[in-house]
Amino acid sequence: MSLLKPFSKLPGLNAANILLVENEEQLQQRLADALVEETAVTVNVRLAKTLPLPLKNEKSRPRIDLVVFIINLTSELSLQSAEASLKYLDPGYFLGKVCLLVTNARNASVPPARLDTVRKLAASLHCPLLCAEDQTPDGVTNAAERLLTILKVAAGLVPMTTALYLSNLTRCTVPSDIDQQGFD
Amino acid sequence: MDDSTKRLLQQLVRRIPTQMLKTTLEKWGRLTTEQQKSLDFTQPKWVLTENLLAFCEENGWTTKHITELEMIYVTDSPNQGMWYAFQLLDPEDDAPSVELTQFKEQFKIHLTELIRHVSIKIKKHTDEAVWIRIAWGDSFSRPNHLKPTYVVHHLQTPYVFMSSVTRKQKPLLSQALVLATRYTAIKDAHLSGRKLTAIRDVVMKQYQQVFPTKYPSPLLEQNQTASNPLIKREQAESSENRHQMACEAFGYGMVPQLQTAVYKLETKFRGITNKTMTERGEPIRCVVKFTSTNLLESFRNCASSGIASTPVTPLLSSITQKGRNFFVITDNGRGPS
Amino acid sequence: MEGEATKGVLSVLSRLEMQARSRKAKPPQQQNSVKELKSTIDALITQRDQLKAQIETQMCVQKLRAAMDKQGAHEADEEMDDGSENSKLLRLMARHAQLKDLLHAHHLIGGYDIVKTCQGKGVCVSLATGYEGVYLDTYNLEIDLKETLRIGRHNIPPFIPVNSLAEQSNMQTDIRAFLGALSQHLNAFAGRKQQVKLVKELHKSVEVLETNALCSILVLLLTVPREKIAVLCTLDYADHTRCLPTRVCIECEDKELPGSPHWKNNITLLKETPVHKALITMKKMGYIV
Repeated sequence: MSLLKPFSKLPGLNAANILLVENEEQLQQRLADALVEETAVTVNVRLAKTLPLPLKNEKSRPRIDLVVFIINLTSELSLQSAEASLKYLDPGYFLGKVCLLVTNARNASVPPARLDTVRKLAASLHCPLLCAEDQTPDGVTNAAERLLTILKVAAGLVPMTTALYLSNLTRCTVPSDIDQQGFD
Repeated sequence: MDDSTKRLLQQLVRRIPTQMLKTTLEKWGRLTTEQQKSLDFTQPKWVLTENLLAFCEENGWTTKHITELEMIYVTDSPNQGMWYAFQLLDPEDDAPSVELTQFKEQFKIHLTELIRHVSIKIKKHTDEAVWIRIAWGDSFSRPNHLKPTYVVHHLQTPYVFMSSVTRKQKPLLSQALVLATRYTAIKDAHLSGRKLTAIRDVVMKQYQQVFPTKYPSPLLEQNQTASNPLIKREQAESSENRHQMACEAFGYGMVPQLQTAVYKLETKFRGITNKTMTERGEPIRCVVKFTSTNLLESFRNCASSGIASTPVTPLLSSITQKGRNFFVITDNGRGPS
Repeated sequence: MEGEATKGVLSVLSRLEMQARSRKAKPPQQQNSVKELKSTIDALITQRDQLKAQIETQMCVQKLRAAMDKQGAHEADEEMDDGSENSKLLRLMARHAQLKDLLHAHHLIGGYDIVKTCQGKGVCVSLATGYEGVYLDTYNLEIDLKETLRIGRHNIPPFIPVNSLAEQSNMQTDIRAFLGALSQHLNAFAGRKQQVKLVKELHKSVEVLETNALCSILVLLLTVPREKIAVLCTLDYADHTRCLPTRVCIECEDKELPGSPHWKNNITLLKETPVHKALITMKKMGYIV
């Protein structure tokens, strides 16, 4: 079992590296295409279905600045796979270098408890939870823009701020209404 | 011209979709040029039916002519109704040399020997398939042309496809087929579906299959489309591998459109959690049924996207490999039978 | 100097400063470049040595190969008297190269490719077919290697009796015989199919009345030029391992015609040459349109 470490490699010049983890492999390619459009910095995108990543790519892989788990809420398997993959991340990543991206959150076939589970998961990991619209190209570019903002900070390209500092502002907290629902 | 002919024509015209009606009638070639011209295909169906009935009276068409038209329509739209595949077993020595005229003659002789009131029509279609239309009667009544049975056979192959055969007719038909094709037995191939072409492709292996080779396969080349150098798949190899396995199990490109796969399980209940079930003497029975508009495509997608594990379980890959979509799984542990 | 004057003093000064700086920086650069060049020389020398060694082994292997090809592998073995590790390895390499070339040659002349599948639990054989120098379909056959060989997945059409061929040629003990027989059947089938295709393409005046999936029967409608008599010609390919008919039958309204010496010749022609070529000859001789 090999952990993915945030500081084991030197950063590249004016480059930011993002890892998209998605079990279904539906959204990640489109998201990656939108991410590399960015011209101010060189964005390297790595796509994976699950973690751990194969050992033989270890050498060619740049330092990963941000890990994004894409969870399709309509599929139980998607959530389970993301949860299983989380175990292969070095704890250092959870200081602002992990992000959960949820799709299909408004789909009627999603059991409401599942979103709560994801929110609790995000809160316990101290990482932000983003919702994305994956059906329209606009939704994908929007999601890519939001990820880029976090990525630039996580890669240390934004002066005067750090990933840890940002994560204090953006991380998901368990809202009180989750428990209240149960209470009612 | 009698009432039954009229009813047959009415029923047939109702079945043929309006957009097909013109070409079908042209192929049939029984209408005179004036009659053909006078038909306005933008009119509603019932008007056309009335017109055709009038022509029928005029030209003195008989049931025979109408069945010709029906056969043209059915051979042109083979993907309707429910088709069942049957397999012929143990060929005689002269089975490979049976030719069309001989087959026609033999089939007619053997079937009319078994049942007196039967009307048989045999025609060879362009794709080398022999189409047989049978209208059945019983010992007192004349053949009922409203509910014909269709049988399709490719000469020299051990497969026969049937549609709308009742349980009573099946043994008669089977016997005539076995004798005419010079085989010794026939059995249910446990393959059925709404599309004759799909069933034929599965048993005749006429779809694109993928095999492991030393040479770079088209699958790989297709995946290596020039993508952005900044984007890299970490697990590209394993996903390619999954894709290859999925294609090996279910075929590549357009796969035959099967609609269902049924697994019947008969086994002793095992499990410590439920005592009453474990102690029950008789086996538990359950049926698992997969349905989809294109089942093989769905299975392939499941396997290549990793939702189903690869290598694909033999239970699923047996559909294409053994050419069947109905399985009974029993307890002797020998896999699907 | 006029140009410089127009540029102004400051720019001249900065240029001079640049020049001075570059001169200062030169000596260490030279040293650096000398070092770099030396290291490249070293690298090149090691590369040369490696290449030399490779050439040497290649020469050795080739010599061995030549000896092997001449006298057969056994005698070459005896010739190599020193049993050192190196020579053993060389011998193995030579043998490997020889076998690889043989396999390649075998493939080139239409042999079958065998690929290991399922981590060595099975093999996949691909049988290429061809007719008159044209590659046609390739058929694949998977064989499970257990205690007994078992035929698995394949894309051979159902009218080729794979299972009975396996029984007849004792697949369990002699797989080559089985593959040979199968390949013969497939090649003959591909050849017959190609012939039918060629007849349809080349001879528009000849009507193909009947053929079947196995292409074992071919009924043609020919026309005799002057009298415009239709001649029904039936070719029966009862031997499924060959592309030539075993029986040719001519039917015609004119009862005399099949018995005439010309048409007797035509029948033998049809029996001995592929049908599309026989038809060309018959056309040239003026027997058919």
